[in-house]
Amino acid sequence: MTSSRTEGCTLTGALSVTTSVQDAVSIIHGPDGCAHHNFSLLHALHFDNDQLVLPSILSTSLKEQEIIFGGEKALEDTITRAFEGNHGAVFILTSCVAAAIGDDVRSVCCEVHGCPVIIVPTGGFLGGGFSDGVKSALIALSSLCHGGNQSGMVNLVGEKNLEYEAEANYREVARLLSLLGVKIQLRFVRNIPVSAIGNLGCASLNILRDESLTDVGSALENRFGTPFLPSFPVGFEGTLRFLSRVGEELDIESDSAIAAERAYQKGIIEHFSDLRRKTVMIHHWGQTSGPVLTELLETFDLELKDHGRLLSFPDPLPVGTAGLFRMLSRWQRVIHA
Amino acid sequence: MKQIALYGKGGIGKSTTSTNISAALSGMGLDVLQIGCDPKRDSTRMLMHGRLIPTVMDQVRERGDKEITLKDVVFTGYGGVRCVEAGGPEPGVGCAGRGIIATFQVLERLGALHADVVVYDVLGDVVCGGFAMPMREGYAKEVYLVTSGELMSLYAANNICKAIKRLSGRSRGQCRLGGVICNAKNLPDEEELVATFADRIGSTLIQFIPRDPVVQRAELNRMTVIEFAPDTPQAGAYRLLAGKILENKRLDIPEPLEIEDLEALAYDFIAD
Repeated sequence: MTSSRTEGCTLTGALSVTTSVQDAVSIIHGPDGCAHHNFSLLHALHFDNDQLVLPSILSTSLKEQEIIFGGEKALEDTITRAFEGNHGAVFILTSCVAAAIGDDVRSVCCEVHGCPVIIVPTGGFLGGGFSDGVKSALIALSSLCHGGNQSGMVNLVGEKNLEYEAEANYREVARLLSLLGVKIQLRFVRNIPVSAIGNLGCASLNILRDESLTDVGSALENRFGTPFLPSFPVGFEGTLRFLSRVGEELDIESDSAIAAERAYQKGIIEHFSDLRRKTVMIHHWGQTSGPVLTELLETFDLELKDHGRLLSFPDPLPVGTAGLFRMLSRWQRVIHA
Repeated sequence: MKQIALYGKGGIGKSTTSTNISAALSGMGLDVLQIGCDPKRDSTRMLMHGRLIPTVMDQVRERGDKEITLKDVVFTGYGGVRCVEAGGPEPGVGCAGRGIIATFQVLERLGALHADVVVYDVLGDVVCGGFAMPMREGYAKEVYLVTSGELMSLYAANNICKAIKRLSGRSRGQCRLGGVICNAKNLPDEEELVATFADRIGSTLIQFIPRDPVVQRAELNRMTVIEFAPDTPQAGAYRLLAGKILENKRLDIPEPLEIEDLEALAYDFIAD
């Protein structure tokens, strides 16, 4: 069996988004095991990233009786219980078994009022994986915004909430945008309140975390008219192109920002000059690392040989110049170890 | 202990046939248990003189399956026939097939599945694994198909043959086709048509049940024909069927027909 890190359970992907809305609760319409497994997984991954997070998750606790007679009553009761917690929104995520027996989740949610109730269809057996869950959740949560006037700011869309360098990547993108004088309106979705999602449609540009979210970018563009860039910046040249494209989209002069960043990159390349002409072997997981890896091999004139020092090339790719700096630091330690 | 299951198209007369078989078998002095495996829960109604008995699933829902006892789910009807209804969800919600599986688990736990003859009366089509339950796990080893000479009824019977064939091919599969029961609709050459169908699928027509208004009259009086009109030829037909089933040793793995062959067969009889 082969499996990539973007596969796995649709439900887990969606929860990585919905549980990052601080004042909302995610209801898993399924057996307790689905909630327990996902709670543990999210908690453990956040803990690995030095964050103590207790995901706000409720379970409808489906058992055999609910499977036979239908689980809609269990869902109604759990939504009522969620309302008692004064949450800003309730997200309903369906499990495989709820989807298999055909519970009419949409009807149940239409009948209940008190705060927004958003359905995220996540029956994993339907063929999707982790990244499909992320996309479903982002599109579902966008329904909390009803449009707005463009602010000149940008949204970051679909940050990988479970990745180790999520905050570092955010800081790097924010730094690059600041070179252009551009501010971030909304991190959609990372540690934000429900009310912030109301501003989703006000940005002048959406920047997607990576190209797997193109469907989400298109959906938001259709809905709010917001153009999008398909990915956070990767590679030295890619980072400069990112600055150029943001400038184009927002009609901002970017030459001085690009010149400043190029000078910064030159300093970094010099800082790692001891990597030059080393014989290395690159271990990488991703399929999209080609151009960035080629750029690095050429920049440092590295020779690829089977007996070279084993260097790790991460997936997801390092974000921006700072991401490359962190990775090159790790390479430097390996070379000099 | 003999365990039989009746399958066939919805509305073809499975429950009527089942209750009359059960009543006839009890008249032979046998201990009979009839289990209705249909959420409509009306399989045993004529044995219970029109009463819709509480279903196993009703009891599970109200009390939880640990609190149920035999007397909560097994009810004695005409001739001492013990009656059970699986029940299930309201139409349009939940999973009725899972309800059948859960019912069998409850009945096993209660030790309810014992009798000289157990008659399983099953929902018209084997739409999912749950409704194949009576054929699985060594419950009913003999399946009887109830059909008329109408094409749609034969089509459903042929479809059920696919399930029997599939299940009998498994290493643990014990179910076989015991025969075909023709519950007539008064079509021309109907007995010959159904007999030919039975032969083509590798089985046999075990009994022809003629269409008779006494069946309707008995049901309006909330009784089986065996009880309501015991001396009629119709009651005789049911007794004959019950006796044949009791003695039946012929058990086949059926070979379902292709739809074209089934249509050609029906067409031959209409053309004649």
